Amino acid sequence: MNVIKLTGGRVIDPANGVDDQVRDLYIRDGRLIAAPDANDRISAEYNISGRIVMSGAIDMHSHIGGGKVNIAREMLPEDHRGDPVERTELTRSSCGHAAPGTLAAGYRYAEMGYTAAFEPALLPINARQAHMEMGDTPMLDTGGYAMLGSDDFLLRMLAAKEDQQAINDYVAWTLHATQTVGIKVVNPGAISAFKFNQRKLDLDEQNAFYGITPREIVKVLSRAVHDLGVAKPLHVHASNLGVPGNVDTTLGTMDAAEGLPVHLTHIQFHSYGTEGERKFSSAAARIAEAINQKKNVSADVGQILFGQTVTASGDNMVQYRNAGHGSPKKSVIMDIECDAGCGVVPFKYKDQNFVNALQWAIGLEIFLMVDDPWRIFLTTDHPNGAPFTTYPHLIKLLMDRSFRNAMLDTINPDARAMSNLAGLDREYSLYEIAIMTRAGPAKLIGLADRGHLAPGAAADIVVYKEDADRERMFEKPELVFKDGELVVRDGRIVKVVRGGTHAVKPEFDIGIEKKIKPYFERFHSVRMNNFKISDDELCECGGGSKLIAHACRKRG
Amino acid sequence: MTHEATSTVVTEVACPLCGHACDDLSVDTAGAALAVVAHGCDRAVSGFARLGAGSTAATPRIAGRPATLDEACAEAARLLAASAQPVFGGMALDVSGARGAMELVDRAGGVIDHMNNEFGWRASRVVQDGGGINTTLAEVKNRADLILLVGTDAVSAQPRFFERCVWVKETMFDLQPASRRIVYLGGGLDTQPGHSPDGRGPDVFDFEPGRMPEALSVLNALVAQQPVAGDAPLGIALARWQALADALLGARYSVVVWAGPAFEVSQLDLNVGAIVSLVRRLNVTTRCNSLPLAGNDGDLSMGAVHTWQTGYPMRTSYASGAPKFDPLHNGIDRLLANGEADALVWLSSLNDLQSPPATGVPTIVIAPPSLKLAAEPQVYIPVATPGMHHTGHFVRTDKVVTLPLQALRRSALPAAGEVAVAIATRLKEVQS
Repeated sequence: MNVIKLTGGRVIDPANGVDDQVRDLYIRDGRLIAAPDANDRISAEYNISGRIVMSGAIDMHSHIGGGKVNIAREMLPEDHRGDPVERTELTRSSCGHAAPGTLAAGYRYAEMGYTAAFEPALLPINARQAHMEMGDTPMLDTGGYAMLGSDDFLLRMLAAKEDQQAINDYVAWTLHATQTVGIKVVNPGAISAFKFNQRKLDLDEQNAFYGITPREIVKVLSRAVHDLGVAKPLHVHASNLGVPGNVDTTLGTMDAAEGLPVHLTHIQFHSYGTEGERKFSSAAARIAEAINQKKNVSADVGQILFGQTVTASGDNMVQYRNAGHGSPKKSVIMDIECDAGCGVVPFKYKDQNFVNALQWAIGLEIFLMVDDPWRIFLTTDHPNGAPFTTYPHLIKLLMDRSFRNAMLDTINPDARAMSNLAGLDREYSLYEIAIMTRAGPAKLIGLADRGHLAPGAAADIVVYKEDADRERMFEKPELVFKDGELVVRDGRIVKVVRGGTHAVKPEFDIGIEKKIKPYFERFHSVRMNNFKISDDELCECGGGSKLIAHACRKRG
Repeated sequence: MTHEATSTVVTEVACPLCGHACDDLSVDTAGAALAVVAHGCDRAVSGFARLGAGSTAATPRIAGRPATLDEACAEAARLLAASAQPVFGGMALDVSGARGAMELVDRAGGVIDHMNNEFGWRASRVVQDGGGINTTLAEVKNRADLILLVGTDAVSAQPRFFERCVWVKETMFDLQPASRRIVYLGGGLDTQPGHSPDGRGPDVFDFEPGRMPEALSVLNALVAQQPVAGDAPLGIALARWQALADALLGARYSVVVWAGPAFEVSQLDLNVGAIVSLVRRLNVTTRCNSLPLAGNDGDLSMGAVHTWQTGYPMRTSYASGAPKFDPLHNGIDRLLANGEADALVWLSSLNDLQSPPATGVPTIVIAPPSLKLAAEPQVYIPVATPGMHHTGHFVRTDKVVTLPLQALRRSALPAAGEVAVAIATRLKEVQS
């Protein structure tokens, strides 16, 4: 068979403990192999001596598809005007900076060396659309985390004190019905509470109708995900996002999982104290210390970077509250199907604004104070903290202390004075960056054949030219291979491919449908059978994307 | 009547004939036409019968003469290659059709617009200017204690609105559906469906529809506790207006329903903007959401695909090689009237009632065989209908729920999306 050889690259492959070793890589039929055998012939060889080689990058939290993203696109023609993508013989036209079209997003991700991205807030009732949008995002493998926790069915089960087994069945059923790879909870119970006109919901405060607290929701959902054997820990957007003093809620949310694996997402937005004249301060040290101590906890940062973006969240309660801070001043808030909600608010982070500048510093403090790069992930919560196209800049901030400190000198001086960032000497290594952007996400989500370069792995491979300017290095890799095909050369798409869709398939008792089917008929606006997405339909939604199914081993 | 699944009756069928996308239809596939045998409104019954014919002798035509599909696609590609500025209209498509159409529009450097977009782009502009606070059908069904219908009776656009969302048997919460309060704002509406099952009539504010901006101003002022001049705005006693404002302020979850085509076009932005203001004001103390009724003729399906692929809503031009959104410039009726377009492609798989406009330019029609054409186009390609002959997806009125469309019976005709891709492929050959 034909084999592609990459010769002489400096391989950084943390999943296999390989740190900057010169190795030849061989690709056959889309996969890495140890060495060609007698029946193989080298059909193409790339001399990449001196180049840095990593597996394809994986964005474990990026809002790339679904209703709220499309609202953001519709809302922001002014965002797109300055950022066109022209059609070529190979690629289609598209546009957009903070809320790009799916075509632009797929091309740009690939041009930066990303080969997978995961939509972290897939509303079950909106799952089809999310998969269709991700299917129209070329170049990338995709997947979603299904949102539960404000859906009437679960809250009703909790209020009726149904046992954990029944909840596990419902969670597994949801994963199958929505074709997703994990479960997310957004401001637990509060999206529902907002519909009953509650305007805040603390960790131990009851939803007015169901009498259920966010703590109980995090507890049962983290248990369900664990019991079902889903690799990806419960993805938690904690209560009180953006509220000064929310650090206590965040630490309490970690404890709500009672020692089971739990992932706190965009934790920067949940790491605020109330010190100082303006009653807004960094609590990064307490958060980092907690992550360092609690081995069941992982987090992605949700770094903000200065400039125009748009915030798109399932958290309608918080987005409604923050709508007045929008820039430009407009917002769409939605209640959705007794299932979920969303809120879209454009936002411009300003380096001379005290709060924004301190948010920027808090994110970086968390990156630098969390010891274990396997449990902290590089995200901007695209587009909420900044568009994903800012990742190379963020990598430079982490890897280059003098650059970071030079930036720090330019921000709002009061914020600078309240941050300990200048005292943090750590510089991330390429090895640690590879963990945070490849090996770590693959391990967290349970993608056994991604995020590494051992024989048998899918040949998602990125070749970078070493450059002391890490932003320049990471924004334009020389070569990107997706499943063994060269798709990007010198930062330009040379072949358009369609990725697959990751979904987990936990075992469960299908008898749960005896409850769900009549429930849909009584209360919902669609029938259960029209809610569920079959494997065949998923591929149709994806415009022909392949399903990449992952079995789960029960732990319950 | 039956709605049991049998060898020829398919149940839980989703209907693509209006934006409500009811998904509880039973359709008998045994006869010459598709027969909706349960849960069909008049539009569904007649639409499935008309569009859902099984065998058809329809073939593609070039200048009125029968042609093969290949020949017709090649001729369409030739016409597009020769055109300096083609425009794409109709666009009554589901998601699969829209995906195919987008490839062709981009490749052809066309301008794209939807048959309903005279209203659609204006509603979009309100979102772009200020946004809104919206809800979806299941929330209305389970939570709405006061439904204010602004300028629309809902049923003209979506016939089963009251049946499916309002006068239901029960709700998830402690709300009795029959206790809901229904208020119509504007005259000339079919208010009969607004009567509760126990015979309670709706509250109707009857006035000439063109005075809607005035009516919404009165309501906005009263909700904001601002003074209103006169004792009887629009000839209706101020006390009634005040009572409505108080009811909205006192409701736990009111819903304001509107539909773009129900407003005078020139007033659409103004009215929708006023509704957004009203809803925002009410949310300061209680919950209130608006529910736009749209989605007919696949306008939201086509719109969603266009927006997610390129970033922009329709009325976008691909002439320069990158999308340029300019809803004032890119209305295709205007471009055709001004002689700024020299070819028209009319794509429709869901609507067989609206004909393409009469123009002097070469026209390519890709539509169901039941569409009656006033004039023979240069190229005609008959296509199947999603949800009847092939699977597909349809975006519902609230822009959140997408229904899967079933293939109820085979058709020899191709899907619109396939035809669009075939033409795009031919066009690429012609261009290179």
